[in-house]
Amino acid sequence: MDMIIQQVINGLSLGSVYALIAVGYSLVYSILLFSNFAHGGFLVIGGYICYFVLKGAGMNIWTASFAALIGAGISAVIVERLAYKPIRERTPVTLYMLIASLGMSIVIENIFVVTVGGRFRALPPVIPTQPVNFFGLATTSAFDLLSLVTAIVFLAGLQLFLSKTKWGLAIRAASYNLRTAGLMGVNVNRLISIVFFVAGLLAGVGGIFLSVRYTLYPQLGMITTKAFVAAVIGGLGSLPGAVVGSLILGLAEMLTAGFISSQFRDLVVFGLLIVTLIVRPTGLFGKSVGEKV
Amino acid sequence: MEDKMPILSVKNLFVNYGAIQALKGVDLDVYAGEIVAVIGANGAGKSTMMSAIMGDVPRAGGDILLDGKPLPSKSFQVVTAGISLSPEGRKVFAPLTVYENLQMGAFPLKDRSLVAEQLKKVYHLFPRLEERQGQYAGTLSGGEQQMLAIGRALMAMPRVLLLDEPSLGLAPIIISEIFKELTEVNQLLGMTILIVEQNARKALLLSNRAYVLQTGKIIMEGDSKELLYNPEIEEAYLGGKKK
Ligand SMILES: Nc1ncnc2c1ncn2[C@@H]1O[C@H](COP(=O)(O)OP(=O)(O)OP(=O)(O)O)[C@@H](O)[C@H]1O
Ligand SMILES: [Mg+2]
Repeated sequence: MDMIIQQVINGLSLGSVYALIAVGYSLVYSILLFSNFAHGGFLVIGGYICYFVLKGAGMNIWTASFAALIGAGISAVIVERLAYKPIRERTPVTLYMLIASLGMSIVIENIFVVTVGGRFRALPPVIPTQPVNFFGLATTSAFDLLSLVTAIVFLAGLQLFLSKTKWGLAIRAASYNLRTAGLMGVNVNRLISIVFFVAGLLAGVGGIFLSVRYTLYPQLGMITTKAFVAAVIGGLGSLPGAVVGSLILGLAEMLTAGFISSQFRDLVVFGLLIVTLIVRPTGLFGKSVGEKV
Repeated sequence: MEDKMPILSVKNLFVNYGAIQALKGVDLDVYAGEIVAVIGANGAGKSTMMSAIMGDVPRAGGDILLDGKPLPSKSFQVVTAGISLSPEGRKVFAPLTVYENLQMGAFPLKDRSLVAEQLKKVYHLFPRLEERQGQYAGTLSGGEQQMLAIGRALMAMPRVLLLDEPSLGLAPIIISEIFKELTEVNQLLGMTILIVEQNARKALLLSNRAYVLQTGKIIMEGDSKELLYNPEIEEAYLGGKKK
């Protein structure tokens, strides 16, 4: 019983970090209708900024995380401006942006390989990882609880931003029809920048937690494959879908690791993806509301 | 009217889609307070003209002036300058509520009290929108969606309201209702309206002046009531003699 609760907490914790990544990825997808494969790069950028601000500048974790989030957000905006904007202004075919994003993900990875090297780095022990007793029910790690709580805070913040602010409303409108949002007087380029900033920032949060969990290296961004799978399971472009898909995935991974074998984790992940695509190709929360003409 | 400056002026407008010339030098003036109709068959270029004014498709040539000053070329700047569009096919934001759709229409307005005031006016003109303000736009009937599209465009407090085929796909009785409301929009709000329509009879009855667009060119213009009884127009656009 202890073991189940423990693995459930670990699974939710891992899933919530996937959710931070999947939600940003899904947000970009819902506006521009392409899979941004450079998304993993943003989390690596966040991780390295956090690392170097902690190590190099000797700052505390608050300053370092703040710098990491802002830095990841800004780099996402820069990637959009450099690689996607020129394409979307010339053609409505989103496949070109997808290809550009594959290129950008390689570029970002290699910038780190060339400048800081490919070795694995551990963040200084600023995030607590000691075991804690969870209401006498199970033993889990402070890190898992912290990442779960942080993810919830950021996802709730995103939800508030989208539901309560003027730009949040514009983003929801644009995710239904970007062009019509432009006809309402929304500066579409600014909206897209805001979306990338938010997506990059959330990936940055995920990047810090993943760096603690798995150490930091230039290919850490590959982990976003899991978040992509989660977003597809939940229904591409749907934010609640991305969250639910991520939690399912995190749970499935941790329960597999706990009760079967760690080696089956990825098998289960892609098994879930295939089952979803067969049973419900649009995902759990796939778009259904149509427009009457 | 002719000695005054037009509020909106389209001069020698050209638009191409690749090799296709959709507009081949369109000239058109709209004066403050009037309703101007552009009628024309399928593919004449009516929507293209509206999109070009809105900055939604690039111009290949010509000028568009608002109050004598060149209109910006980006959509969001056009809306801020004072022109908004109720697009062809309505294009309401289906997953947003009626209220949220109207708030989207007011996006360029900075002053919240102005938005609230304008919302009251729109609800006054279209009481049905107020009744359904919490409903998702995608679940509205076609006629209600059209009202929402018009109300949404009005929320930006435009100087000129553009309407692209508000009658599209609606039952005659609903069309009559919407056109009655457009007269009210014009009279109660003093709103200047440029409307393009395939439903030529309705459009000519509604408007003060009208232009006839055919394959990218204006081939006729004049007083709407005169065009209504012009035999050529009757033949080509009003389905022949009715009397
Ligand atoms: N995106 C586009 N790409 C290529 N050609 C286009 C495009 N949009 C319109 N056209 C062409 O431009 C011409 C004018 O089209 P437009 O939609 O402006 O006509 P319309 O008068 O609004 O017609 P309708 O009454 O059917 O709405 C047509 O020949 C159309 O095929
Ligand atoms: Mg049209």
